[in-house]
Amino acid sequence: MSEKKNPYSVETTGHVWDDNLGELLNEPPTWWRIGFHASWIFVVLYTIIYPSWPLIDTHFKGVTGWTSIKEYKEDLKEIETVRAKYEDKLPGMSAAAILADDELSNYVVRSAKVLFGDNCAACHGTGGAGNPGFPVLADDVWLYGGTIDAIEQSIVNGRKGIMPKMGGMQLSDVEINKLTAAIVDGTVTSEPLYMEKGCVACHMPDGKGMAAMGSANLTDGIWRFAPGTAESVKYTIKHGVNDASDLLTRKAEMPNFSGGKLTEVEMKKLAVYVHKLGGGQ
Amino acid sequence: MGTAQEETYNFEVVRWFTVMSVIYLVVGTLVGVYIASELAWPVLNFDLAELSFGRLRPLHTNAVIFAFGGCVLMGTAFYTVQRTCGVSLWSNKMAWFTFWGWNLIIVSAVITLPLGITQGKEYAELEWPIDLAIAVVWLSYSINFFMTVLKRKTSHIYVSNWFFLGMMVMITYLHVVNSLAIPVGMFESYSVFSGVQDAMIQWWWGHNAVGFYLTAGFLGIMYYFVPKQVNRPVFSYRLSVIHFWALMFGYVWLGAHHLQYTALPDWTGSLGAAVSLAMIIPSWGGAINGMMTLSGAWDKLRTDYVLRFLIMSLAFYAMSTFEGPVMSVKTINALSHYTDWTIGHVHSGALGWVAMVAAGALYHMVERLWNTRMYSASLVNMHFWLATIGTVVYITAMWVSGIMQALMWRDYTEFGTLTYTFAESVAAMHPYYAMRAIGGMIYWLGGAVMLYNVVMTIRTASDRREVNAATANA
Repeated sequence: MSEKKNPYSVETTGHVWDDNLGELLNEPPTWWRIGFHASWIFVVLYTIIYPSWPLIDTHFKGVTGWTSIKEYKEDLKEIETVRAKYEDKLPGMSAAAILADDELSNYVVRSAKVLFGDNCAACHGTGGAGNPGFPVLADDVWLYGGTIDAIEQSIVNGRKGIMPKMGGMQLSDVEINKLTAAIVDGTVTSEPLYMEKGCVACHMPDGKGMAAMGSANLTDGIWRFAPGTAESVKYTIKHGVNDASDLLTRKAEMPNFSGGKLTEVEMKKLAVYVHKLGGGQ
Repeated sequence: MGTAQEETYNFEVVRWFTVMSVIYLVVGTLVGVYIASELAWPVLNFDLAELSFGRLRPLHTNAVIFAFGGCVLMGTAFYTVQRTCGVSLWSNKMAWFTFWGWNLIIVSAVITLPLGITQGKEYAELEWPIDLAIAVVWLSYSINFFMTVLKRKTSHIYVSNWFFLGMMVMITYLHVVNSLAIPVGMFESYSVFSGVQDAMIQWWWGHNAVGFYLTAGFLGIMYYFVPKQVNRPVFSYRLSVIHFWALMFGYVWLGAHHLQYTALPDWTGSLGAAVSLAMIIPSWGGAINGMMTLSGAWDKLRTDYVLRFLIMSLAFYAMSTFEGPVMSVKTINALSHYTDWTIGHVHSGALGWVAMVAAGALYHMVERLWNTRMYSASLVNMHFWLATIGTVVYITAMWVSGIMQALMWRDYTEFGTLTYTFAESVAAMHPYYAMRAIGGMIYWLGGAVMLYNVVMTIRTASDRREVNAATANA
């Protein structure tokens, strides 16, 4: 260390506090003084370039004319130019037509990925893998049908199927147990109560349900309500689904996405995306 | 000014502030570790509203900033102002009022925040009756300090006191204006500002809680404890004058940089960013003034563990006062804003600078206030390493996580569509959230070691005093 740099070769201000506190008369380092002046010069330059100083009823606009909204619009335009090739065609086409077009459906799958992630995945899981109480969208089992049109309908209008509660007046505990055992076995159609008590009306003679009503297939071992044990089947029979007369009823509602939540094109995109998850018919 | 003078100083209230500071350090960081763990392992919410991140996060910030930071600022200010002015406090009774008042405010925060009683303003969550109490207690602290400076026996005011005074003036002003609200019930009120003006006032306060409370105040601490611990004069009087006034006039402009690319007018954001960048050099003025005070005495770092805290804190101070201005520039802000990078930045300041310089000052004070040595010097060293490693693990995790998050959010495919869903970016954060929680745990452990060491130091000191008294009586 050179003598010049040694801070203790200089005097202090002469003031002493608390026995030994003092202050040396060193000048701030040269680089620091240069930096200090560079700092305020920078402020001047920066505020010349950008909108900055407030004036009486407006503000200094900056020599470059930069504004954040302009920057935003330019960025957006750039991305929209890339998308335009595909996006321009979508409004005039049906979901089915988009699906039939390889190039477009390829684009739509990429574009709808985030739409699905932000609007659908919370219930139906990433990639449509489903969640307890929320249907899998990636297999070929569909409550309301797996055609592109049916899927689009589900998204646009939502779905809220009803199964009346059968506990209490309609079915005794013994009857519920019998039905439950048959359902879990996959042999419900051979159980006499199935006909007698009217289950057949919605779940159909073959027990495979009806897409128009969204009634479940009772023979395939795939369960609408987790975990699909005898207990949960019994619960569904007893309390029904979306039966307003029973507080304990199963709640199963797919919200609709029309009415401003998503645009028509976005809903079309999602229909194509869901169809292509693997189970579209 | 020898021992005789020291006996007339009002140190009992300082002792209490000192002990409470260490306790709040442990409690505040423990809440932080818990909420960090909730983000990594959400099961820790236990589906209880009172335990959820949204309720506990303000409890964490209030505990570390106002409980820990406040007790440190009050304890050190009352300690140093007496010693540098050569007089006892203007009013010892008022200092006790400050102590009990401040701690009652902390108790009320601990009760109201988990219950969800909040104004919804970051770092100013407490409801209006508590805001009023804060103003009163803060003024009792400030007036006592100011009056003590007025009756000083020294001809000049020592530099640490300028910084404390600057903080007191500015925080009074900021707290009062930002808390202006119309009460509609005991625990409910509405800000008198609305829309973007409210946002601007909020961040004018928010950034200056950092700028004056956590920076100017703690620079006051640095200017007393660094030269005192090394037994060397401050490197440059002129440097302290220039950077003091530059910080005082510069910092109040910075709040706008929290609102880039929002409804805030562009001109306001530009001024915020420009002055932010111009604050790097003045901030470094403080850092080098502290570090160069060590010139010719660097070897002391080998043996003096307390000094290690003080010097490491200045290194973190220099780093985070560079990082912050860089993040305030529009282009960088477009990337960093709303990401974990912000959390990493604030913790490099909070863990690395504020809490480290505080720990150095507290260890220094404990030895003088109880007239003893620390119970274990090696535990001080252990605390130093736990704090340093914990901070580095924490901020590294948040840098990586924050930048990754930002890059995922803005990534486009060749089709011009977003590459990732938001949920995918959340899932990608998980390992870094776990790493952050572990960094926090390491830091917390350091605080726990400090608490143990301080308790043992005080116990041995009082035991010895009793023995001495017994010997004297015999």
